[in-house]
Amino acid sequence: MKLRTYKNFFRESIRNIFRNRVMSFASVVAIMSALFILGLVLILAFNLEHIAGGLESKVEITAFLHTSVGSAQSRAVIDQVEKLDGVHEVEFISKEQGLAEWKENLGEKGVLLEGYEGKTNPLPDKLILRIEKPEYVGSIIPSINAIPEVDKVNYSREVVDTIGKVVRIARLVGLLLMLSLMIVAMVIINNTIKINVYSRRREITIMKYIGATDSYIRWPYIIEGFTLGIIAAFFAGVLVIGGYNLLLSRGGQLGGSYGFLSLFQLLPIEGLIYDIVLAFLLVGCGVGVIASILSTGKHLKA
Amino acid sequence: MIQFKNVSKIYENGTKALSNINISIGRGEFVFLVGASGAGKSTAIKLILKEIEPSKGTIIVDRKDITKLRKKEIPYYRRNIGVVFQDFRLLPDKTIYENVAFAMEIVEAREKDIKKRVPSILAMVGLEDNANSYPHQLSGGEQQRATLARAMVNNPSILVADEPTGNLDPDTAIDIMRIINMINHRGTTVIMATHASEIVNAMKKRVITFKKGVVIRDQEKGGYINEA
Ligand SMILES: Nc1ncnc2c1ncn2[C@@H]1O[C@H](COP(=O)(O)OP(=O)(O)OP(=O)(O)O)[C@@H](O)[C@H]1O
Ligand SMILES: [Mg+2]
Repeated sequence: MKLRTYKNFFRESIRNIFRNRVMSFASVVAIMSALFILGLVLILAFNLEHIAGGLESKVEITAFLHTSVGSAQSRAVIDQVEKLDGVHEVEFISKEQGLAEWKENLGEKGVLLEGYEGKTNPLPDKLILRIEKPEYVGSIIPSINAIPEVDKVNYSREVVDTIGKVVRIARLVGLLLMLSLMIVAMVIINNTIKINVYSRRREITIMKYIGATDSYIRWPYIIEGFTLGIIAAFFAGVLVIGGYNLLLSRGGQLGGSYGFLSLFQLLPIEGLIYDIVLAFLLVGCGVGVIASILSTGKHLKA
Repeated sequence: MIQFKNVSKIYENGTKALSNINISIGRGEFVFLVGASGAGKSTAIKLILKEIEPSKGTIIVDRKDITKLRKKEIPYYRRNIGVVFQDFRLLPDKTIYENVAFAMEIVEAREKDIKKRVPSILAMVGLEDNANSYPHQLSGGEQQRATLARAMVNNPSILVADEPTGNLDPDTAIDIMRIINMINHRGTTVIMATHASEIVNAMKKRVITFKKGVVIRDQEKGGYINEA
């Protein structure tokens, strides 16, 4: 098709939007509502992932070596442990460091430990393992136990299990929300299309009588859907990002005064904004264009 | 120009609208299709427009068997036929000028040509002062002139009209018939279905009379018979 024809398509679609103001408004509101829910789900998902990640990085396994193990052997054990799947970081605390820390913790009473340095030190060398995900704990524990230099392994089973459970539930909730979002969006869009189809039937019939090709009839509607999608994405973006910012400024004050809340600190907006805007534009325009194709297609076939 | 060869049309619900029709219409002819309500006039017109398919037989237009046209070719085929209906069928959201220009935009005419051609065709049907009105702001007769302008703007070789005066008072109907007659004099083949006996009798053109889906009379310089 010729360039001037595309110019006509743009003119037609913009005029259609303004002429069918009520329909255009309804379509924008429908797509915007769906996007708004999508935005909430995305923000929730990002934050849950963030919180879960924060919890997971707290998973620690402590391995105590036999007191007889020398420092060269300890080095070899560290190398071995670092190679295990899912081990994020290994911290080595020698018996000397352990004693020093213990002394420090005791404060004034630290003098009680005088004389235990060197050969008489009763403490074992200690490895602290940070794990990538709680799922790895099951396989790491036996591997460490199998190392002959290791005397005892310690980890808090409850903490690990709880974190795993929280993460699983969070993901399930996210999935369910996503699913209900899809259903809501589809119902709204389907109804909007139905109304659009009705008002367009006559117009399409006339165009066909005077010899318009299917693509000629369809293009302005597609551009119209695309434009409405962008408008809806814009307003949904303003709503979601504006609302989140408000929440951040309120929540920030709270989080500051309660230390334990820091773990549940909401993610800063900068990290989310690009993903959300991109998702809105893609989904908004996609929905707009698909809705246009569906609402014209039925009448083009006849 | 247009030939029906053994054409029958039975609608999906079993109604026999046309039975074994044979008609031949030459280039530049003016033909009335007449007959009682339900005789099959509109069915014949819809067949020419390829809005519906014949159940049997072939239809030749401009030496082409249009029953064999592929779906993609239909819009291009229709551009060679101007159409006018009883209920006008203008796009309500466009001005008269835009309605006529739209038919030229569809065939991707140049803007320069559109700007020249549309005013001249509007002048031909006497609507030069109504170019910027919307259809609902015009009388029935004016709307029908606008559809005639739209039908003729791309110079089709055939004009098909289904009861073009059906919604108009007698004086306005005569105005419309003058324009259609002028179009015919310029070389366009005209096929018009109508119930308007005075018009048919006054114009002394070829008249094809249908009765219950059969052609019962085909007369040069014919008249309207009421028993049909
Ligand atoms: N889409 C359709 N489905 C089923 N039957 C139809 C359809 N269109 C027309 N008919 C039937 O076919 C027959 C011929 O109809 P047609 O419209 O061709 O008549 P007509 O001569 O144009 O009548 P009128 O003067 O009232 O316009 C009628 O019996 C009509 O009921
Ligand atoms: Mg009819």
